[in-house]
Amino acid sequence: MKIKRKKHEVQYPQILNLDDDFSLIKRFIEGDESTFNVLMLRHKEKVRNIIYLTLNNHELVDDIAQEVFITVYKNLGRFRFESQFTTWLYRITINKCKDHLRKIRIRSIFTAISDSDNEPGYTTSPEDKDTAEIVRAGISKLPEKLRVPLLLKDIEGLSYQEIAEAVQCEIGTVKSRIFRARESLRNILKPYERELL
Amino acid sequence: MKNIYKKYELLSAYVDNELSDAEIKKLEDELKFSKDLQNKLDELKKVKQLTASSVKSINENPYFDTRVSATLKNGTTWIFRLRNFYPVVGIIALSIMLMVVLKYNPGFINNIVEKQKSNISDFYKQNLKPLLYAADLTNEDIFNFAFYHQLPLDNSKHQYLYLGSGPNGNKYFEIKNSNQSIAGNNLEKFIKGLNLNTAQRRQVDSILSSYADNLQSQVLVNEKNTVAINPNIWNFNKALVADLISFAARANKQKMRNVLPAGFENYFNSSSIARFVNEVNSTNNNKYIFITPDTIFSDSFYFDKSKFNEQMKKLNEEMSKMNKENGNFVFNFHLDSNLVRLNNLPSMNDFKIFFDSNSCQIHLPQIIVPHIPVKDFDSIAANLGRAGDMFNKMFSFDFPDINKSKNFNYKYFYSDSAKGLKFNFRAFRFDTTFNFNNKKLNRLYGKNFRKFKFSNPDSIAEFYKQFFSDSTAFNQKELEKELQQVQKQMELFQKQMEQWQKQMPKNKKDTTAKQIEI
Repeated sequence: MKIKRKKHEVQYPQILNLDDDFSLIKRFIEGDESTFNVLMLRHKEKVRNIIYLTLNNHELVDDIAQEVFITVYKNLGRFRFESQFTTWLYRITINKCKDHLRKIRIRSIFTAISDSDNEPGYTTSPEDKDTAEIVRAGISKLPEKLRVPLLLKDIEGLSYQEIAEAVQCEIGTVKSRIFRARESLRNILKPYERELL
Repeated sequence: MKNIYKKYELLSAYVDNELSDAEIKKLEDELKFSKDLQNKLDELKKVKQLTASSVKSINENPYFDTRVSATLKNGTTWIFRLRNFYPVVGIIALSIMLMVVLKYNPGFINNIVEKQKSNISDFYKQNLKPLLYAADLTNEDIFNFAFYHQLPLDNSKHQYLYLGSGPNGNKYFEIKNSNQSIAGNNLEKFIKGLNLNTAQRRQVDSILSSYADNLQSQVLVNEKNTVAINPNIWNFNKALVADLISFAARANKQKMRNVLPAGFENYFNSSSIARFVNEVNSTNNNKYIFITPDTIFSDSFYFDKSKFNEQMKKLNEEMSKMNKENGNFVFNFHLDSNLVRLNNLPSMNDFKIFFDSNSCQIHLPQIIVPHIPVKDFDSIAANLGRAGDMFNKMFSFDFPDINKSKNFNYKYFYSDSAKGLKFNFRAFRFDTTFNFNNKKLNRLYGKNFRKFKFSNPDSIAEFYKQFFSDSTAFNQKELEKELQQVQKQMELFQKQMEQWQKQMPKNKKDTTAKQIEI
């Protein structure tokens, strides 16, 4: 009987500890739904920040983060343990952000004023307000495909590998995009060279 | 350039600590000897630092996990899951409702459409008044209506209603911006041509005046820019022609014998014509064609003449005001196929509308013109058409004694105007006009010889259609100028001829006398 039960068990990597993401997911699959809350508590701020940095809008963060975690909850049973949980989670997050941006673009076709016109910018500490404001304005001018990898790297501190998996492209592309983003930002900030650079 | 770009990319990755040990060593060796790379590295570090310091992470939300947990808890219930199918459920429910309604009330949609139709038609029928106010129509206007099928739509005579018929006999009317083909004083020419005495002249005036009253109820307008035209106007036109030709045939038999083909003279004295005229005048057709800014449709409308006559004084003031306000009709046609078939007449086809910057032509289904219950109506109508055309030719240019064998017959058609221009010129000094046209013909001849048939003047029209998509493009003014010049030259020639004829007998006598002397 023991042998029979082993055959039906999912084969997980041996290196895992009880409290890491994989073990929590395993427990979730086995029926312990409380582990999902642990996963959520562990990663929610990262997810919220990625959304905030990608969309440049703090009002939408919680709604989209909620969508992300609902998607995770629905699909966690099918997690294949082939990559890190965070890689999978960030990919879902970036995809949700892309979906939202796509909706905004479609909506902007039918409305005279685009939603982005009313969106608040990134927040910053009051003492750096002037400098930060200029840089933020510069960053917001970058195209999405350059802006997102740059912010995921410089603000969230994700590795090139993690960024590549999240935005679904090659590491070389991420490297190139981050460099191009910095070059573009430098060119945008050139008029303020004395104050900033 | 590409190498340096790659180098900079590596520097960027170096700043991010994303290079392998070997790459770091190689790059650091290069950095020692390259000022340019050092500068770039400093620049990239600065940009990274600026990015990191300018954007702060979003504030934590302590209630976020509670919110998600609550949503997930609700989300597992069947009502929550059903929310995803709300649109589908809505469509199915609506379809079922519609099916039930249509099963027990099959005419439901038709009723709505019909109600809508009648609402629209009632809206445009309100407050219709005659546009052709009898007092404003001169006898000359009515005479021109008879033979040239056009009536002035405004006091300043800038716009005309033209009644026409296409090659297939289809009726149409056209609102034109200017009178393009009628010379002035046609009524006077008619009277002089027939050598009418004062009593006969009065008779002509009374015939024309009697039609003025009928004509005024044929074209109605209102402040909603609706024009309602009674198709019976075509029959009035025929009756008027019949009346005038019958009168002419009685008044000057000799003259009419020269003008009309054999048998026509007796024909116009027949009782059929009188019956026809009486029938037309007594027919009360209540079906009007409504031309509105939105659509064109045909519907019943009763115009109360007696009530109108009572309001005549008041109306006169309003009309003059209206004419001032609405100098021109402006139509934006949005054809609604439902409204076009407002009457649900089975054989009633769509109205066809053609318009350009100069005119608006509306072709009507044949059934719409009321049939006059006279036994030989069709033959009368056909003969009237022929006789009218001959009359038209006879009085167009006041040359009653034209020797036909020496004449050039020109026939012009505008690209978009169905009414052709027909000119008869005597074979004298027509060269200016002829050259003008000859240039056009030569040009066409060179371009497309096969399609061009000299024997058939109508084919010329086809060519002009190709070259002038808009009737305003046709050089009407230039042609008119040329014709005026020709007319002046011909008048001058006539005077010279008269003088010459007076001198001729004297010369003859002198010559004879000299011969006797020899």
